[in-house]
Order: sequence, then structure tokens, then C-alpha cells
Amino acid sequence: MIFFRNLAAQWGKRYRKMSIQMVLSLSFTAVAAAGILLMGISLIWRVSSSNEAMVAENSQRVLAQTNLSLDSYLRRMMRIADTVYYRVIKNTDLAEGSYTEALGLLYEENRDELVSLAVFDSQGRPVSSVPLSSLKGEANPAGSEWFQAAVQNMENLHFSTPHVQNIFDNPDSPYRWVVSLSHHVELTRDGVTEGGVLLVDMGFSGIEQVCRGVTLANGGYLYLIDGDGELIYHPRQQLIYAGLLEENNRVAAGYRDGSHVEEFQGQSRQVTVKTVGYTGWKLVGVVPAASRLTSSPQLFLFGLALLFFAIFLMAFLNFRISARISDPIRRLEWSVRELESGREVEIEEGGCYEVRQLSHAVRSMVSTMRHLMDDIIQQEGRKRRSELEVLQSQINPHFLYNTLDSVIWMVEAGQQAEAIQMVTSLARFFRISLSKGKSIIPLSDELEHARNYMNIQQVRYKNRFVTEIEARPGTQELYTLKLIIQPLLENAIYHGMASAEDDGVIRVTAYREGEDLIIDVADNGLGMRPEVAESLLDEERPQARTSGSGIGVRNVHRRIRLTFGEGYGLTIFSEPDEGTLVRVRLPALTREEAGRRQQGEAL
Amino acid sequence: MKTRKNDLVEYVILGTLGTLVVLTLVIPQLLRDRGEPQLLFLSVLFRDTDNTNWTVTRQGMEQAADELGAELRFLTLTVQGDGREQAELLRREVEGGAGALVVVPADPEALGETLAQQQSGCPVVALESPVAGAVGTAAPDNALLGRQLAQALLEDWDGGPVLLLDSASASSGVTARLEAAQETLDGAGVPNIRVSALPEGWVSERWVMAFEPSATRQAADKKEAEGQSYALYGTGSSTAITAQLERGTIQAVAAWSDYAAGYLAVRQAVQAVRERPGELEPLAFSIVRGEDIYEPENQKLLFPVTS
Repeated sequence: MIFFRNLAAQWGKRYRKMSIQMVLSLSFTAVAAAGILLMGISLIWRVSSSNEAMVAENSQRVLAQTNLSLDSYLRRMMRIADTVYYRVIKNTDLAEGSYTEALGLLYEENRDELVSLAVFDSQGRPVSSVPLSSLKGEANPAGSEWFQAAVQNMENLHFSTPHVQNIFDNPDSPYRWVVSLSHHVELTRDGVTEGGVLLVDMGFSGIEQVCRGVTLANGGYLYLIDGDGELIYHPRQQLIYAGLLEENNRVAAGYRDGSHVEEFQGQSRQVTVKTVGYTGWKLVGVVPAASRLTSSPQLFLFGLALLFFAIFLMAFLNFRISARISDPIRRLEWSVRELESGREVEIEEGGCYEVRQLSHAVRSMVSTMRHLMDDIIQQEGRKRRSELEVLQSQINPHFLYNTLDSVIWMVEAGQQAEAIQMVTSLARFFRISLSKGKSIIPLSDELEHARNYMNIQQVRYKNRFVTEIEARPGTQELYTLKLIIQPLLENAIYHGMASAEDDGVIRVTAYREGEDLIIDVADNGLGMRPEVAESLLDEERPQARTSGSGIGVRNVHRRIRLTFGEGYGLTIFSEPDEGTLVRVRLPALTREEAGRRQQGEAL
Repeated sequence: MKTRKNDLVEYVILGTLGTLVVLTLVIPQLLRDRGEPQLLFLSVLFRDTDNTNWTVTRQGMEQAADELGAELRFLTLTVQGDGREQAELLRREVEGGAGALVVVPADPEALGETLAQQQSGCPVVALESPVAGAVGTAAPDNALLGRQLAQALLEDWDGGPVLLLDSASASSGVTARLEAAQETLDGAGVPNIRVSALPEGWVSERWVMAFEPSATRQAADKKEAEGQSYALYGTGSSTAITAQLERGTIQAVAAWSDYAAGYLAVRQAVQAVRERPGELEPLAFSIVRGEDIYEPENQKLLFPVTS
């Protein structure tokens, strides 16, 4: 049970790994092979049965024919016996004449079949005999089996089994196998009747001639037995007598007329029995059953070849048909796989109705998915843009408030020229901030924006620090995300320059590093511990909208990463009392790339 | 990848089926070629000048030859029991391309030497006496036969010496019978004389034992012709011997089926050529007295069923 369960599980596992074509091919082939085998077996069974019936019929026909011949032969012998009895013995008084002449005539007429004709009195003394007249010295006819049978059963003719004629002295042919026909007769001697026995010795050759040469189907043969199963004739009789061969004659004696199947010496064989009238003898036809199928291994193998060819043909057709059926499904599966891996493929709509419907459904689904994905991308873009806008908007209120506060202060202090310069810088600052809604602007504008911002801040901080802004060669044509330097400068001023006394330096340097654009914002301010510097960019850090919270720096970092990916953003290097360097890493965007990005964001 | 694997499996299945188709078409041809054994030519060498004493043996041989697809050639000697002539005959037959030989050896020892010299590999089956180098001997247990025949004599013996006819001293099988009989007689205290042939004229001894059919028949003929009175015990189952047994000329014979001997000898020879031959069992024999010859089993043994 466990074995079958394991087998089923194993098959189930294999089945799950098989392609539809293989499943179809193997299933069709297995079913076809089973069908062909079933048909073959049924055909073989039918052929075998009909062959068996034909063999039986043939055996019965042959046996009937042989029986006719044998019956005819035996009747001839019986007629001879009747002739001897009714025409010779009944009509002759032994006191007046002898049977010898009449017996001699009869013998001469039938000498090919007869060995001797003899009449004995009730004591077994010979009355008359031809052609042999002298008994062997030790002969005892009355003790013979044929004599006893005739005496004991007076009404009937008795046929003996083959034996060697042993009562007459025959110098020419001393020992002949005969079958003796004996009959009780009434002899007349001097008008008085007395018992006697008529003996007709038939040559064994007569029976042998009837039975010899009779062949049955498939190398079968025929033999003759008496009612007790004693062999009378067998084609290999002497081998049986010599003990080199055995026959199932004793068992066959118990069979009724007709065909039977028996096992003998490990061989199955069909035995057909026909009783010979009057004598009780039985003709037995034997056909080896094994030979019915194996008699012609060529035929059997040819049948097998046809079977295999039929299975081969079916398998070939199944493979082709299943390939044709499964090919559209396989192509569909391949298309889906390609889609999964992100490649653009066209889904074909081929094959039969169901597959076409499935392909159509998948195609529709893919199309819908593409639209949905586009929608999602657009939504994401919009979302990101709005987030950027929110982030950018976080800058403006602080700065504007402080700047306007400074302008007010200057106007009140009568510093008209400084106020004008500050307002001018502010105007230019906002013009670049707006940049017609673009998020990516030329690096030069961004640096200009930083310069304006620093101009304003320097007024506010009464030139406690100086600003150096430098764009190295190779960066002139590059583009950058806008408003990323200003928050860093703001941070540098608030944290780095807070305690500066005319010796503060804030240096902005833009340069190219491979495919990246680097903008370093360095100050020589107070600096901080590296771990603090590191924590400034930590997203988990609680937001506090106060100066020095680092939120501006983190906003810049997040914006860059949102726009360009995780590989970009800020890195802060700082040491207490040494200063701080904030390094901005961006992709080195050309005008075209910036345009494309701008377009993507717009979508 | 999957498609390629499928194709491979399909090719394997189709290839296997195709191979089976081809095999089942080719095998019948091979079977046909192997199924018909070629006719085998066998030579049968007797040790007598004629084979009348071997009629039944021949019938057995012919039956086996007929069943097994062999052709027989019967050869006799010009001089009775001439071992040298028989050896020469054997050499000639082997060189002449005989498939196998069945020999009733006149001189088993000489024949064994001749066989040893022949390197042809032609199988030889012996009848009656074993020969060195033969693939089998179709014969009864000679020693047992000699003992039982002597035992039959002892049942009748009432005194006087027994003449033991050593008529084929070169034949080891016959000699084995004689020696076993002599041993039995010696054991029973019966005086015995070993002679190569019966003396001319009147035989004074009342008991004679012969150990091969021709000697048995000659002794019986002499007894009938000259009115001798010795009791004769011999071997053989020929018609003449049986008739003499029935007439009382011979008291008892050790008889075996010559038919079976001939059949088995030829079968063994054919098997030796075509396949590995089996071991030949000693032939069954019976001691038959005159009054028992018509017993059903003795009839089957002594009188072959012929038309």
C-alpha cells in the first residue's frame, strides 16, 4: 500500500514537472498502446481459440476417417469370422468332412490381412487351421486369453490386444505380432453339436497400415488403445516398449469421445478420442497444445512486429499531434515568461479555440496591466513631484522671513544701497528658485542661486565669513537638481559660522568625478563629531523644525535619492573644531538627459 | 530546454519501438536459419562380417536417425572381430567426413588408440563395450549382467564344471560379463573352465555360458546340430536365439532391448555433434527363460513390433 502511495506521489511529482506536450504524448501513446495490446491479445485469443477449435475439428475429422477405415477393416475380419462360422462350420459335420479346404480358400482371399484361421474344440485341440497346421509342442490354446474370452462371452466376438502368435509352429516367420479375433462356435460332429472357438489372427500390419501415416495438425499423432488403455498401435510403439518413451494411454482410456486438454510430462496437449465401434478400442489423437502458439515462432514474431509497428506509428502520430496542440500553449507560456523577465513580447493568438481565447485573455490582461503600470508610474511621478514641491516649499518660509526682516532693518537704518542690493539678490534668488517650475536646472544657475543666497546672508551676518564658489572645468554644461546647495549653505552658516569672527570661510566647489557630478560645501566652522555628522542623514531621526536640526540637509539628501536613486545623495565629513564638508553626489546630467528627466517628471 | 528534453524522450521512445520492430522482423529470419539442422551423416561400424545379429539394433538406429535428421551408413568387417580392420575403417570414415560414428568395437583398446590419434573431433559412441575417448557407451551394466546370468545358471546347477566361452577377449564389455560370471561361480564354489571356443566334437561339460550373441548362437547351433546335452546360458535377443530359447536349446539368456541400444547410440552421437551430450545410462536387461518368453513384458523386449 505504501509502495503504491509512494509510486503515485512520485508520478504526481513527475507529472507536475512534465510539459503539456509530454503529458499529452505519453498519455495518448499509453492509451493507444494499451488499446492496441488489448486488441492484439483479443485477436490472439480469438485466433488461438479458433485455431484450437480448428485443430479439434481437424483431429475429429481425421479420427473419424481413420475410424471408418479401421471399422471397415475390423468388419471385414468379422465378416470373415461370420463366413467361417455360418457358411463353413454350420454347414459341415466334422464326422463327414473338414473345414480346411473352405478355410484355405478364405485365407487365400484375405492372405494380406490374415495370419491364420483356426478352429479349436472346447478343449483347445485344433480342429482345423490354415495355413499353419502344426501346433508348437508347448502350445496351450485353451489357456490363451483369446480362448478364455470367447468361452466366457459366447455371444460376442472378442478382439485381443496385439501379441506374438505363439501357438503355431511357423518356420518362416516364427514370431508375428497379431491381433486375435475369437468367437465361440458350435461344432457339429456326427450330428451332435459341441462348443469350440474360432480364431482369426489378423496381422498387426493391417492395423498399422490403417493408422500409420495419419498425421494431425501441428505435428500431432494418433494412437490406438483398447478399453483398458493397453496400447494396440502407436507410431513410436517400440520406443515405448523399450522404455524410452511414455504415453498417457491409461488416462486416455478414461476419456469420453471428443476433445480434451491434458497435461502430460509438463506439456499441455489437446487429446481427441474416438471410440471404435464394437471393439471398445479408442483412437486417440494428440496435438501438443504448446505447438499451437509456438509452432510458428516466425508468425508469432511477425505479429509482434506488426504490433510494435502499430504502436510506433501511433506514438509518432501522437507526438506530432500533441506538439501541434501544445505548441500555441508553449508559445504563450514563453511569452508570459518573457513578460515576467521584463522583456517586451507580442502575444500570439494561435491554436485551437480554447487556446486562442486564453491567449486573447492574456493579451488583454497584459495590455490592461501595461496601462495600469503606466498609470501607477504617472501617479508615482506626480506624487514624487508633489513631495518635492513640499520639500522645496519647506525652505522658503524661513529664508524669506529672515531676509525680509533684514531688509526692514536696513531700510530703517537708512542703508538704502544695501537694502537695494539685498532685495535684488532676493529677486534673483527667487527667479532661480522658480525656474519655470523645473526641478532640474543648469549647474551654473544653481551656483548663481547659491551666490545670491550667500550675498543676502553675508549682509545679514555682517561679513563674518567669506564665500568661495567655484565650478571646475567640465562642469559648465552640466545640470543639477535645483535648490540643493542653498540648504547646505544655510546649515554651514547656522552651525559652522555661528561663532566665526571675520575668519569664516564657506567654500562651494563643483567638479566632475567620472560619470558623477560632485559638489562639495565645506566650512571651517565648529565641526562636529563624526557620529553626529552621520546621524544628520538618518531618516529615523525625529524631525525638529528648528535651526540646527539638520532637516534641510536631510531634505536635500532625500530629494536627491528620490530623483536619482540610492547611489546618490549626501555624505558628511566633520571633525570638531576642524570644520565640515558636505559632499553632494549627483549624476552628471547633460542638457538632453536633464530634458528627458524633466519630461518624465512632467508625465 | 524543456522542448529539447521532450524531443529527446520522443526520439528515445520512437527509437526503441523502431528497434523492436526491426528486431522482431530480423529474428524470424535468424530462427529460420538456425531452426533447420543440416542432415548429419553417421557411420555405424559393426564388429561382425554381417549385421544380421543387429537387425533390431539397426531398427532403433534408423528410428533415431529419422527423428533427428541423420543419414546412416552401416559397415561390417571382412574378418569377424578384426580390431585392426575396424580401426582402419574408423580412420577412413573420419577422414571421409563422417559427422559421427557408432561403433560396436571388436577391440576396444585398439580402437581407443586409433581414436586418440585422430584429432578430427568426430564424436564416437560405443555399443556393447566402452572405448576410451568415446562420448558414451550404449550397453547394459556388463558386470551385473554377468553376475545375474551366472546366478540363473546356479539356480539349475547340480554339479559339474561350467565352460565359460571367452569368444571376444578383445571386447572389454564381453570380458567384463565373463569375469563377473566367473567370480560369481567361484564364489558359489562351482568349478569353471575358461575357453575361447567350444571344443570340436562332443562336449563333456554339462554347463556352458556364452557372453555375446554370436557365441551364444553358435553354441546353440552346435547343440542342436550335434545333439549335445549341455545346458546353455547366453546373451542376446535375436529371433534365432529366441527360437532356440523357446525350443529349450538355450536355458536362459540375458536380454536387453537392442532397439533401445541402437536408438540411444545414434541419439547420443547426434547430440554430441549438435549440442552437449548427456550421460548414457546403462541399458536395462532381463534374464529370460524359455517358459517366460511370452510374458507381455518379455514379448515387448524380445519381439520388436514390425509388420
